[in-house]
Amino acid sequence: MIKLILTDIAILTVVSVFFAILLVIAQRFLSNYGILKININGKRDVSVKGGNSLLSSLSEEQIFIPSACGGRGSCGACKCKVIEGGGPLLPTEKPLLTKAEMDSGIRLACQVKVKTEIKIDIPESIFNIRRFKTRIAKIEDYTYDTKGITFELLEPGTISFKAGQYMQLETQPYGKVKQKVVRAYSISSGPQNDKQFQLIIRLVPEGMCTTWVHNYLKEGDEVYLTGPYGDFFIRDTDADIIFVAGGSGKAPIKSMLEDLEVKGTDRKMTYFFGARTTKDLYLTEYMQHFEQVLPTFQYIPVLSHPSADENWNGRTGFVMPFFKEVMRDPKNTEAYLCGSPGMINAVTKALVEMGVPTEKIYYDSFG
Amino acid sequence: MKQTPLELRITKKMQPGVITLNGFLGNDDRHFHEIIADDEKTLEKLGYTAEQVAERMQYFTDLSWEFYEQPVEVEGKYAVETEIVRGKLPCPFSHPGVYRKAFTILTNTETGVTIRWSSLNLHLIKAHHFFEGKGSTYRLDPELLVKTLF
Repeated sequence: MIKLILTDIAILTVVSVFFAILLVIAQRFLSNYGILKININGKRDVSVKGGNSLLSSLSEEQIFIPSACGGRGSCGACKCKVIEGGGPLLPTEKPLLTKAEMDSGIRLACQVKVKTEIKIDIPESIFNIRRFKTRIAKIEDYTYDTKGITFELLEPGTISFKAGQYMQLETQPYGKVKQKVVRAYSISSGPQNDKQFQLIIRLVPEGMCTTWVHNYLKEGDEVYLTGPYGDFFIRDTDADIIFVAGGSGKAPIKSMLEDLEVKGTDRKMTYFFGARTTKDLYLTEYMQHFEQVLPTFQYIPVLSHPSADENWNGRTGFVMPFFKEVMRDPKNTEAYLCGSPGMINAVTKALVEMGVPTEKIYYDSFG
Repeated sequence: MKQTPLELRITKKMQPGVITLNGFLGNDDRHFHEIIADDEKTLEKLGYTAEQVAERMQYFTDLSWEFYEQPVEVEGKYAVETEIVRGKLPCPFSHPGVYRKAFTILTNTETGVTIRWSSLNLHLIKAHHFFEGKGSTYRLDPELLVKTLF
């Protein structure tokens, strides 16, 4: 009886091992898609190893589509138009795409697997995006929760960007965080210095990237970033400009002002910086420096919650009521806004009510 | 207790350093199903459901959003404001979509109690009845929620 049971077990084991080996062999051949072509904008072909995501396949070819979540399908930043190939739209993509985007073939590059040859359309500006090896040259404390980080470029040694664009910072594993985390931050320095750039990073409670930056990063450390990304930059017109940005939203505005200081401008410009208390104000003297070198520029900080003991004599409340102090011709005014969706919605509403054309309101939303 | 592959995935996403720095379970060694069941029982004893709690939280969140991150007084005994920082978070239950790092801060001026919740907290309570494990940074105790919100 025991002999019979043992024989059965042996047979079962042999059969299981056989099927397991068969499965491994089948997987090896069935999931081997070989080398496949990705046609980009009908102009350029890249050959990639099939089976990986479109995002990582392009990244291997040094073509970096924006992605704030590192390809986990949660940020929706890696949208690109798939003209041919790419397979059916996945349930993981639908919540992050509008109906119009779905109808026009927009997909999330991190969710599309390259299993056949694919044709895609991406903006030409993406070809300017590189992965940079950098060294931390300087870390400055601006407020209790905001730091300015200067990155010296090692490889490639120079960068070309427009003031207002952003970079994606890659963390290293640290503490409880065992994986690389990727997050986007606006460049806060002017584009004239192409050998280094600065980011302004505010500590986010429980933020995996900002905690690394604030508590682990040191001067001299090597860090990788990709960029530049984004279309938030000053349009070349003669219109008056209203800037509105609080907190770390000051970063792209600072970059724009440094750029304008070098290029020169006689456009009337006003920067409304919204903050809660005087503790949240930073780079005030530097902003006042721009008032000296750019005579048509004015810096107006507005505090929403100043306490009595702060002796704040400046403007208080919302920034919107103060627009009328500086608005000359709403039709010939552009606005550049950087901050939370709530701020952007409220400011946009106020500007439109004053007569600023919607198409002249540009923003970089935290949302 | 043996976990299904889906439960394993969810538990993994709730660990520190995966979606948030300190995770969703805190120092609670119960399975997330048990945390949900225990909190549902607490609410039942108090005469409320997770949906009712979530609906009330959503009401305050929506009101504060209308006022562009400025404090707003509601019903004569609540001060509510929103704070938004850059970024979005996915749901650990693999629910589609991402949730803004937007925090609603509500103070019941009669009791002096302040509670704070994120868009993800609101979703977790509404869709999954999950108030997070004890010791988690963003754990919302159902009893405290009921006392403060109603």
